[in-house]
Amino acid sequence: MNSELIKFSDVTIGYGKKPIIEGISFSINENDFLGIVGPNGSGKTTLLKTLLGNLKPIKGDIVKDKIQFGYVPQRDVVQPLLPYSVYDVVMMGRYSLMGILGKPQKYDVDIVNECLKHVGIEELRNQSYNSLSGGQRQRTLIARALAVQPQILILDEPTNGMDTPSHYSLLDLITQLHDESKLTVIIVSHLLTDVANIINRLMLLEKNHFQVGNIEEILSEDNLKKTYSSDFTVAKINNEYLISSRRKN
Amino acid sequence: MEVIHQLFEIFPYAVLGSIIAGFICAFLGVFVVSQRAVFLGASLTQASVAGVAFSFLHLINLEGYLAKIFNVDIEHNTFFHNFEPAFFSLAFAIICVLIFSQTYRQKYLTQDGVLGTMFVIAIALRIIFIQKSPVAEVSEIESILKGDILFIGATQFYTLLAITIITFLVFLIFQKQLKFVTFDPDTAMAHGINSRFWLLIFYLFVGMGISLTTRFVGDVFAFAYLIIPSSIGILLGKKISQVFFISALVGSVVPPISIYFAFILDFSSGPTAVALVFIVFLITYLAKKIFT
Repeated sequence: MNSELIKFSDVTIGYGKKPIIEGISFSINENDFLGIVGPNGSGKTTLLKTLLGNLKPIKGDIVKDKIQFGYVPQRDVVQPLLPYSVYDVVMMGRYSLMGILGKPQKYDVDIVNECLKHVGIEELRNQSYNSLSGGQRQRTLIARALAVQPQILILDEPTNGMDTPSHYSLLDLITQLHDESKLTVIIVSHLLTDVANIINRLMLLEKNHFQVGNIEEILSEDNLKKTYSSDFTVAKINNEYLISSRRKN
Repeated sequence: MEVIHQLFEIFPYAVLGSIIAGFICAFLGVFVVSQRAVFLGASLTQASVAGVAFSFLHLINLEGYLAKIFNVDIEHNTFFHNFEPAFFSLAFAIICVLIFSQTYRQKYLTQDGVLGTMFVIAIALRIIFIQKSPVAEVSEIESILKGDILFIGATQFYTLLAITIITFLVFLIFQKQLKFVTFDPDTAMAHGINSRFWLLIFYLFVGMGISLTTRFVGDVFAFAYLIIPSSIGILLGKKISQVFFISALVGSVVPPISIYFAFILDFSSGPTAVALVFIVFLITYLAKKIFT
């Protein structure tokens, strides 16, 4: 059994005093690969903000002792107007570890270079972030999250708006980070088919209701109907999940 | 050459002050424009003008209190004599910034909505304050409120210089934090940097810079130099250092040239500075369109 990194006990999340989901209890263990999936407006981003500590829970306890998160936001929340280089952006991942007045040291530069290599964009080092394609930008943001040397890597809708090759190549990279680098990974997506074949635990979120557990337990036609209020067919062929919407005749 | 010599002789602080005012606005403008918070500049300039108008009501005799504490004669001390308008201009801008900073990650209020509200409220307050002012004619106060580059004296120049140096040092010392929170506040927060605090520091310095520039050189100049030089820098700069360099260069070189043209053509200096920097922007934009 891997050690427990985060524990939610009867947590209510929301903005101000208005709850979005109540009674959330679950744990995140070392080397988990958790997918958080649900329709738009189900509270995925609110849960993520609460998990990261950016939003206080309305009720309940969250135990997480000095966890270092590596966070990859949705690409469109990053302002791309100024021509920061890829190196500059990845170096931002080291800032919180340098102290308030600290400057980047050789050690930080080495880590940044290593992270760029890890995600396969070392040749883009001096290019401006705002000149990159969607897939290259996402890899830059992942490199920045890795530069924190995190215990948990959190990705918010990482494949949103990407072309098909970049989409699958990014999912491969995320899987590789989990399998080979032994990182605990949490991936948030509104596309269930995106994450179902790479994760080992699944959280299905809908307004004021959630289910979490191993993917085999959670990914069922009944649970999907409860979450999305429509019918789905779930099949496993050659160890791959195929999920499709059932047409009403 | 003779005109330049004359200008330096008659308006030495105006020429030097215009360089400093243009520089500080252009420098802060890079962050403001890249944050897509241009309307913040408009709201802050109007809040500053409302603050100056408030000082004309003479509801609080700050100058009197200060003069008593420091035992000085207000009439013969330019700093204390000009203290109240600058103080209230700054105070109103800071109130504006504090309200705006609360909109960070607000679910129910949009930043644009808050800025728009502050903008019109500031204008309304300015009108009310001027109408109720016991000291002078409305038109006379309006012209004082607008500021003028040529009115920059030694006190205004040294105040602007001090604010510019302090702002520049703060941005240099805390560049890591300010760079990260203005680029991606959510991730900065997730990585352990208090985005709320550092954004507040950022906006406070923006507020301070804009309010004092507005007070001394006018709202039109301050707003224009906040946006146009930084837009030129963003258009031309391929690296972040180039963006700052080009913005600061345009911000500090164009205003003294404008004073020269205003002087020989008998134009008002503030609007001439705005028109000239817009021409530079237009040429840059067209050149970029044609040659790239």
